[in-house]
Parts: sequence; structure tokens; C-alpha cells
Amino acid sequence: MTEAVASPRAAALRPGRAVLIAAVLAVALAVPLGLDPQGYPIRVLTLTLLFAAMGQAWNIVGGLANQISLGHAGFFGIGAYASTILLRDFGLSPWLGMLAGMALAALAAAALAVPTFRLKGHYFALVTLAFGEVMRVIANSWSSVTGGPVGLSVPFAPDSLWMFQFGAARPYYYICLGALVAVTLVFWRIKAGALGYRLRAIKENADAAEVIGVDTFRAKLQAGLISATLTAGLGTVYAQFSYFFDPDTIFGVATISVRMALIAIVGGVGLTFGPIVGAFFIIPVEEFANAALAGRAAGLSAFVYGAVLIAVILLKPEGLLALFAALGKRWRERRR
Amino acid sequence: MSAILSVRNLTRRFGGLTAVNNVSFDLSRGEVLGLIGPNGAGKTTLFNLLVGIHKPTAGSIRLDGREIAGLAPNRVARAGMTKTFQNVALFQESTVLDNVLTGGLLHEDVAGARARAAAILDRVGLAGIAHKLAGDLSFPERARVEVARALCTRPAILLLDEVMAALTPVEMEAFLALVRTLRADGLTLIVVEHHMHAIMTLCDRILVLNFGGLIAEGTPREVAHHPAVIEAYLGKAYAEGGADA
Amino acid sequence: MLQWLQALVDGVLVGGVYAIVSSGLSLVFGIMGVVNFAHAEFLMVGMFVAWFAWAYLGIDPLLGSLIALVVVFLFGAGIQRTLIRPILKAPQVAQIFLTVGLLFCLENGALLLFGANYRSVSTPYQTESLRLGGIIVSLPYLLAFLMSGLSGGLLWAFLRFSRTGRAMRATALDPMAAKLVGIDTDRMHQIAFGLGVGLTAFGGAVILPYLTVYPAVGAQYVVLMFTVVVLGGLGSVAGAAVGGIAVGVIQAFSALVFPVQLQNLVLFLVFIAVLALRPQGLLKGASA
Repeated sequence: MTEAVASPRAAALRPGRAVLIAAVLAVALAVPLGLDPQGYPIRVLTLTLLFAAMGQAWNIVGGLANQISLGHAGFFGIGAYASTILLRDFGLSPWLGMLAGMALAALAAAALAVPTFRLKGHYFALVTLAFGEVMRVIANSWSSVTGGPVGLSVPFAPDSLWMFQFGAARPYYYICLGALVAVTLVFWRIKAGALGYRLRAIKENADAAEVIGVDTFRAKLQAGLISATLTAGLGTVYAQFSYFFDPDTIFGVATISVRMALIAIVGGVGLTFGPIVGAFFIIPVEEFANAALAGRAAGLSAFVYGAVLIAVILLKPEGLLALFAALGKRWRERRR
Repeated sequence: MSAILSVRNLTRRFGGLTAVNNVSFDLSRGEVLGLIGPNGAGKTTLFNLLVGIHKPTAGSIRLDGREIAGLAPNRVARAGMTKTFQNVALFQESTVLDNVLTGGLLHEDVAGARARAAAILDRVGLAGIAHKLAGDLSFPERARVEVARALCTRPAILLLDEVMAALTPVEMEAFLALVRTLRADGLTLIVVEHHMHAIMTLCDRILVLNFGGLIAEGTPREVAHHPAVIEAYLGKAYAEGGADA
Repeated sequence: MLQWLQALVDGVLVGGVYAIVSSGLSLVFGIMGVVNFAHAEFLMVGMFVAWFAWAYLGIDPLLGSLIALVVVFLFGAGIQRTLIRPILKAPQVAQIFLTVGLLFCLENGALLLFGANYRSVSTPYQTESLRLGGIIVSLPYLLAFLMSGLSGGLLWAFLRFSRTGRAMRATALDPMAAKLVGIDTDRMHQIAFGLGVGLTAFGGAVILPYLTVYPAVGAQYVVLMFTVVVLGGLGSVAGAAVGGIAVGVIQAFSALVFPVQLQNLVLFLVFIAVLALRPQGLLKGASA
């Protein structure tokens, strides 16, 4: 009996799922070979992978620690600005700039943790919202360093892996895919590991968690630091991929902070594959709406975006993965 | 034998209300100490002070000679003292195993904690429901999971806060048997309980709390016959022969 | 010295409007327990209603504010029924993101309907001002302040003395008990939400004489309004009055010291500091 209970249950992948993951990865690796390396579809796919990784990074705080952040754009922008400024002023490789941005974001997250660690729910959401806005105001006003409201362009360089710059979208696709796999692995390790248990305990009953030895401040801080650091790294990737960004976009509540959360929520908060499913739903829908109505109806895509958010919350708050699971179950039962 | 826990002049005020007033006592290693008193006497507040959920307004708490007053609960747990919750505070959406395992993470990694949790579940008779969700359990099962989770932190002192409150007499007997085995293994316990029968048969010594202060202390026999106690508390419950206050 | 006095006067005048605008947000939280992230968008809606009333009916925005109040009250009551009621008992994540979704829909719905143009009104008193010693009191600011004060007083009297107002406060204190004594708490929620967004729309209308309206104008007020209610204590309408004036004065003073772009930064930092140190608000105990 003891052995049966002790055998690791969650940690091991079921063989069926492992095969599925391998197959999806193989397809993901092969797809770009059939696409025009400069074309629009591969750009959309690259963006989708990047946003999936961002949603996954948010999921560490929002899903596992149940801390609803509306300010992750703050960390994202720190990553983008840090690497781009270091590249512009010192010619530093964006890969190194990425590390600098990640370190800076970790500092910011630690500073933010001091006033927020006791806060829950709405209050936490409000403070993080204000944090993102603080970063946006700073980027807008500190023109001598950030370029101000005009934004910042990544200095041009010839194709080079070391300088993180490519003319075509294909290399970015593989970088974003790698980033997504890496962030997902981090998420999965946390979820199955000691920190995951601690965060679940805090989420369900913080007092009880403390009394049985969970350092709630430390656990939340760890989750926050990891999430912020990964988000900043993705900010650098975004900067290199898009060549140009401005404060209102990179620190935007709607464009980044809420979108990261929405991707996780639409797919399924706290689930390992939630943000991936969410991103593959949200980003293409947005791109399609923008492309179909470009210029003619400003605001339509954001309107649709808000409507999707409302619809998901009202109809299926557990997200698409739960919906698929329910549909799959019904289908199997009908076949029987 | 020297005291494992020494409490001196412990006081906690909430605004104008003094919930715990100048309480001092010692606890010997391996002892089972009962804590009784009418509703609102400050028993749960005293527990919360001991484990660090509340910060004392004044006074000292020494565990193995080390001052722990004012430490966060997770530090107190690390020092070797933890408690169960009066209204059962399990992680409802986690399995029984995961609940207990989380306690084990205090000293071990996940694999070690899982093995320890499994052994403890075996011991408290819950191995069969290890993969049930805590939210789906019956009252006696929940009480046992609370105890198992606390045990998984490897405490030197365990505080049981009315863990038997919702149990039937038969379930209570089974639970008392479990507590006696824990004691036999050398665990030091403080027990808050309204069931007089449970307290009287289980404890070596009893403290009586009323209006936040200690009014009596002694063996179950002594306490049962203490005039102040009979007046404050037992007069109503025990003298009428009820096991239930 | 004089410039500080001038800033104080300006700050108090603007702060009065902040107070009435934010009291709606506080009312909704106090009575329903919902933090409405979309609340500032109703300020924008109110400004648009007042602008159209001015442009097509020739009604002065100060009077149009009453139309804005009524129209947005009905609009809000409808939104409460369809969107807010289903999530009253849902986890906070759901509440946060539903109202964030509503924020996007309102802002971008206005963009789709009215375009991104800036619109303003012209009124005879727009550029008038009074001089008191060396202090200049701008007339539109003063009128907006007086209108806010008046409506704030009416709101206070309504909550205090009217049957409905008392029933609403009872609902806020203890919904179960309110239900037991026969109060239709569902209806109270609807009135509270309608009134909350209506008051904010009213505030939007009275500032139209000295501001311009465009779809994204609400975004300027999101953190500002939350700062006001958090300063005063989330859920306290009386606190919103104090918080509003405080924020107005803080803004006016920081404008003297910092470049104009950093004005909001000071506000955000105050906001974070207040939440960190006293999340229950600077005034305690005062309820709706």
C-alpha cells in the first residue's frame, strides 16, 4: 500500500501525452520549412509563439500563485529597453542585454514585492496596474535615455546570431519556439515541484500553509521573480523581432499586461498547456481581425478582444482546455 | 526534566480587549497538556500566539530555550511547533496525499516528503483515501488529515485545537487511540477540547483559562475539584455529567 | 507663496470633481463588493452624452450633466443585469477580467462609433474667471466644483434619509440580513451600479466645459479614481470626497515641482504607497 501511494503520480507523463507532445513539437519544427521565410503567416506564428511564452510566464504568478498581475508589461518593457539601449549605446549583443534586462526586472519585482506581498485579489491587481503605468510614464519622460514617446529602434546589423538580428522571420520563429519550450519547462518544473505545492497551499489557505512551515512571502517572491525575469527576457526577443517599439505599446495595459493574462485565462489558468492553447486562439483571431479591417475600423480588434474576454468569463471561466476536455468526453461517450 | 516550552507573561490585546492576559506555564517533554475554558476564554488566541499567527503584545515564548515570540508561523514550524485548525483548514482542492506532503516540504524535497506523507497516512489509517480530494472527505477523515499534515512537519510539539469537535463518541474513541500512539512515540501535545471526557482521560495536566487569564492548573482530578474551575466552567458542563459543553 | 495658494485653490476645485467621479466607484464597491476596472469609461460616456446634448440640442453641459446621469444610470443598470450580476459570486479573477473586458469594449466601442476626434464645447463662461486678491479662480472650474458639491450633498442625503438609500446601506452591511427583512438586494445592486456609473458620467459632463472628450479619455482617470477611493477607503463614499480633494491638491502641488509629464508618476507612487501601508484607507470606519 505504502509503495502504491508513494509512487509519483503527477510528475510522470502518461505515454499517450508524451507522444502527443513529441508530435506537436515535430510539426512545430517542420512548419516553417513549408512557409515563405519572409511571409506574413510565419510572422503571425512567431508572434503567437512569443505571446504563448509570455502567457506562460504570467501563468507562474497568475495561475500558480493566484496573484492577478495587471502590470507584467512593466517587466516586458524593462527587457526590451535594457537590451536595446545597451545595443544602441555600447554595441552590446542583445543576448547579453537580455541578461541585463532580466536582472533589472528581478530587481523591480523584488522592490514591488515589498509593498504587495500582503495584498490579495483586487488590491494586488491595482498595485501591479499602477506599477506598469509608472514604467510607462518613466519611459515617456526620460527621453535622453529611452527616446521618449517617439520610441526606440533597434540599430540595424547584418544577419548574425550573436547580434540577434535576421532579415527573415524564420530564425525568430525558432528562437520563439525555443523560448516557449523553455518557459513551459520552467512552469512545469515549478508546478510539479516543491514551489508548486507551496503556492497551491498558499492559494487555498495561507494561514494553514504558514503553520505547516510554508514561508508564504518567500514562495510568492520566488514565483514573482521567476515570472518577471522570464517576461523581461521575452521583452528582448520582442524588441529584436519587431525592430521598433514605443512606451505606450511595450508598457501598455491592453497591448501587453492584459493580453498576457487573457492568453492564460482563455486557455485555462494554471494549466501547463493553457497559455499555448490561449495564444493560438487569441493571436490569430486578432491578426485576422486587424488584417481584414485594417484602417477602416480603428478599435474593432480591441473591441472584439474585450468581447472575447467577457464571453470567456461568462461562458467558460475555466478556459478552452476545459471546454475541449468536456467535448472530448462527450464524444467518447457517444461512440461507446 | 527541563521544560521543552516555557511561556512567560504572555499577553495579547486587540484594541481595548485583552484576549490573553499574562499567561505563564511550562510544558515538559512528552507531556500531554490540556487547555480548557469557556467559549471566548482565549484558548484559540493562545494557540495562535504560540504558533506565530498573532504577535504577542508582551511576554516571552521559549521553545527548547530559544525565544520564538514574534516569529512568523513558518519559522515556528521550523523550530518544531505546529497546530491543527479549529475549523479544519485543509487545502480543499488538493488530494489527501498532497495536503500531507506539503507539510513534509519543510524538511525534505518532494520525493522525500511524498514517502513520509505516505507512511504517515498509513499510520493514521488514511492510506486508502490518499488520492481523494480533501474537500470530499467526511468529518473524522478531515480531522485525521489535519493531524497527518501537521505530523509531516516532524513537530516536537503539536497543538490540537478542538480537532474532535464534530466527531461522534465512537469516532472520538478511535481518535483518542491515535493520539495516545503519538504520545507513546514521544510527541508533546497541547490539546484544546470541549469534550471533557476526552480531556480528562488524555491529559497529564490541565490549564484552565478564563477571560484570557489562567485561573487553575493541575492534574485532571485536581482541576475537576478546583472551586474556581467549577464556578467558571465545569459547574455547568462537567458537574451535570455531560460530556459535551 | 502665492503660486502655492493658487495651486491649492486649483487643486481643491479639480479635487471636488475627482470626488464625485470616484464616489460612484466607491459606491459600487461598497454595496456590491465588485471592483469595477471599467468605471472610468463611464466618465467618457457621460462626456459624450453631454457633448451630443450640447451639439444637437444646444444644452449647456452643466445641465446636460443631468441627462448624462439619467442615460448612464439606465445603461449601467442594464450592464449590471446582463454582465455584472452573473459574476457577483465568482472568484475575483473573473470579476477583474470581466470589468477589464468591459473597459476595452466601452473605449473601443466609442472609437468605432465616434472616431478618435477630440471634441469640445463652447460656453459663454468658458474663459471667465474671478479674481480674489492675487488668486485667479477659473469660472468653469468653480462651476464644476459647485455642481459636484451639490450632487455629493444630494447623494449623501439620499443614502442617509431615503428609504432606498437606507436599504442600499443595509445591503452593503449585511446582504443576508437585508434579504431577511425584505430588501430586494438584487434591485439594490442594480440601483447602486446605475447610480455609481451615473454619478461618474455626471462628473464627466460638468468638466466638459474645460476639457475635451475623446474615446480614450477614460484611461487618464483609471488609476486616478482608484487612488482617490483607496486614499479614502475602498467602499466609503464620504472617504471619496476627502480622497478626491487630496488627489487634486497633490496633483496641483506636484505640478509646481515636477515637469508636467511626471505629474501622474507622483500620483501612482502615492497610490502604491497607500495600498502598501494602509490598504483600508486613510480614514477608517466611515461607511457608505
